[in-house]
Amino acid sequence: MFEGYDFEVIRTSLPYLFRDGMTFTVTLTLIAMSGGIVFGTLLALMRLSPFRILSMLAGGYVNLMRSVPLLLVIFWFFFLVPYIAAWLVGADRPIPIGAFLSAAITFTMFEAAYYCEIMRAGIQSIPRGQVWSGYALGLTYRHTMVQVVLPQAFRNMLPVLLTQTIILFQDTSLVYVISATDFFGAAAKIANRDYRLVEMYTFVAVVYFVISYSLSMLVRRLQDRIAIVR
Amino acid sequence: MISIRNVSKWYGSFQVLIDCSTEVAKGEVVVVCGPSGSGKSTLIKCVNALEPFQKGEITVGGVSVGDPKTNLPKLRARVGMVFQHFELFPHMTVTQNLTLGQVKALGRSQEEARDKGLKLLDRVGLIDHKDKYPAQLSGGQQQRVAIARALSMDPLAMLFDEPTSALDPEMINEVLDVMVQLAKEGMTMMVVTHEMGFARKVAHRVIFMDGGRIVEDAKTDAFFGTPRSERAQQFLSKILHH
Repeated sequence: MFEGYDFEVIRTSLPYLFRDGMTFTVTLTLIAMSGGIVFGTLLALMRLSPFRILSMLAGGYVNLMRSVPLLLVIFWFFFLVPYIAAWLVGADRPIPIGAFLSAAITFTMFEAAYYCEIMRAGIQSIPRGQVWSGYALGLTYRHTMVQVVLPQAFRNMLPVLLTQTIILFQDTSLVYVISATDFFGAAAKIANRDYRLVEMYTFVAVVYFVISYSLSMLVRRLQDRIAIVR
Repeated sequence: MISIRNVSKWYGSFQVLIDCSTEVAKGEVVVVCGPSGSGKSTLIKCVNALEPFQKGEITVGGVSVGDPKTNLPKLRARVGMVFQHFELFPHMTVTQNLTLGQVKALGRSQEEARDKGLKLLDRVGLIDHKDKYPAQLSGGQQQRVAIARALSMDPLAMLFDEPTSALDPEMINEVLDVMVQLAKEGMTMMVVTHEMGFARKVAHRVIFMDGGRIVEDAKTDAFFGTPRSERAQQFLSKILHH
């Protein structure tokens, strides 16, 4: 059955796949996750704000990001950001910023829209009385949010946030279209060079599956442990 | 200390408070009672601006609550409030609950806030529970922590919004005892409650509300002796039947 296949190529390319490829993938995931959660939380607070302008701005942004394909956003940012950078520093030529930085900005901005909706649900799940209680103690809006509402919302939503991060981890493979060497991109390069498409793509699938599935199991365990008892 | 003058409030087109006026003097204990939906909880939440009102004026210690220029966090820091559902912060220990407001709103040091908080926790008899989380305490204990938390801010006045309504019957007294003690020490208190025993024992005045109006505002003896309004008579006869 395995006649004509050569799985040796996997072994010899392991260092390249993991040291270059997986490092890129994991770094990008972590940056987009932390940036996305921070930006997403701000967006969520804006969406829930009584000021119409803020909530409309945030709502528009979130709906836009959620209505366009990720692939398009990756391309769009890759070609657009150099022009914005040039405009910002006043250069007359577009400034190439590299695949990694472009991908990091793209994924942070894109994921923020999804994290925003998760955090919005989390904030809304906190009983009104908790906010009253914070205000009644003389806390400002900022302190009430930072000390009382967000820690509880974050904890309630942690499993969902992590699940979204697992999806993000898989989605980062799309940076292959801007020729970045993430785990998938590295494997694709080897596959094409040595013409070992079946071997490499099977291996890539197994690795993504093992990592994503183990993480989901971890999330499930975490879910039972962190719930706030009321 | 607290002055409420001609306050009206609407939810959309529905009027929940109709021209309410009353005063709570320094050191006075005023009980607000009435059937549910009569606006008593809404009225008390207007006093520290947790609920906005559209007409009239409320002042606390001379500061206008409805004035947009008023620094609300600063005002609220000096008005203690105890809620029906306790509203301790479930992700913090009892000690952290006691210090948060003191540190963030009053600018006290962590140490000073802790000393003050633990002293009050001791006063409500719960010092052994200082490192527990609210969920590990009974309802009565949580409410006593909530009272200690409010007192730790050195409030000018205390507002109680049905503090015993969510408690099991056997826990009501431990909370009322703390409140009676507080009243005897001369704390200015405005208490929304159905506990008529408490009202009789410590209230100087009783306010009876119905349909968003203050129907009766009388000295405690007068209120229980001969309520003037028919609605208050009915209400009393229903809840004082045993």
